[in-house]
Amino acid sequence: MAEEEVDIDIKQARDKFLNQEFDEKVFDIDPDVTAQYARMCGETASRFLDPADPDFQAPPTFVASLSGGRMLPADYPRFGIGMDAGKGVECIAPIRPPVKLVGKTHIHDIYTKTGRSGRMVFTVSRIEFYTEDGKHVANADSRQVMRERG
Amino acid sequence: MVDSLKEVEFGEELPAFEPDTSLKTGSAFAALIGWGQGMGGRFASHEDAKKEGLPGAMIPGVLSQGYLVAMIHHWAPAADIRKIDTVFRAPVLADDKHTITGVVTDIDEDQGLVELDLTVANEKGETRVFGTATISLPA
Repeated sequence: MAEEEVDIDIKQARDKFLNQEFDEKVFDIDPDVTAQYARMCGETASRFLDPADPDFQAPPTFVASLSGGRMLPADYPRFGIGMDAGKGVECIAPIRPPVKLVGKTHIHDIYTKTGRSGRMVFTVSRIEFYTEDGKHVANADSRQVMRERG
Repeated sequence: MVDSLKEVEFGEELPAFEPDTSLKTGSAFAALIGWGQGMGGRFASHEDAKKEGLPGAMIPGVLSQGYLVAMIHHWAPAADIRKIDTVFRAPVLADDKHTITGVVTDIDEDQGLVELDLTVANEKGETRVFGTATISLPA
């Protein structure tokens, strides 16, 4: 989309918030929890279920369940009523519990779609997960849609 | 079951998977990830969910995402998930039967990657969750 086609308020929000880290949180990843998580999802492979397996790892989408201290910056504009519109995960390296992960959150994207009921503003919050020695292992995106009040 | 990239065909349908969408599992899952408190009873009780205006207790969205990955691993146990994106179109209601289907939409033999479209549908055939995934497989 050409820059001039972006609504002014969205451009202002993008200029102010995109790629600005606003939260950092440390997560203790417990092997028993990730194994239970995998079992409830329906995984059957030992590498996800058995902490004694030499290739034991958290199921790929486990990081999507981890929430930072806050999902949006404190001064982020309220475009309307917010709803969970989806989640994405990018797996960069296996997460092998027990391990501590550092989650750093920023706004990754802000965009709009206009339908019959008006404009909807989508905000993608991304948590980047790192091991304590700085290895980047995963990204988890939360997509929130705010439907503007009519 | 698929073990390597060369066994995958474009347009191939993955074996359908019926996840455990029982209230018991959805509720236990929500508690496991810390969503049992502060989220009302939307994952734990049909009655409490209805008080919130929902048609019934919901399966957490991240559990639906987990079902999609489990389905991929049932089809291709050696698959590594590179990316998965899910769109929550409508609630997955606990205790309703759901089926997950998937189809191969692209194969990149040079990179060893396969792209999949995945859908969670209820018994009426209504799509509740739609997902796309990129996986890697051994050559």
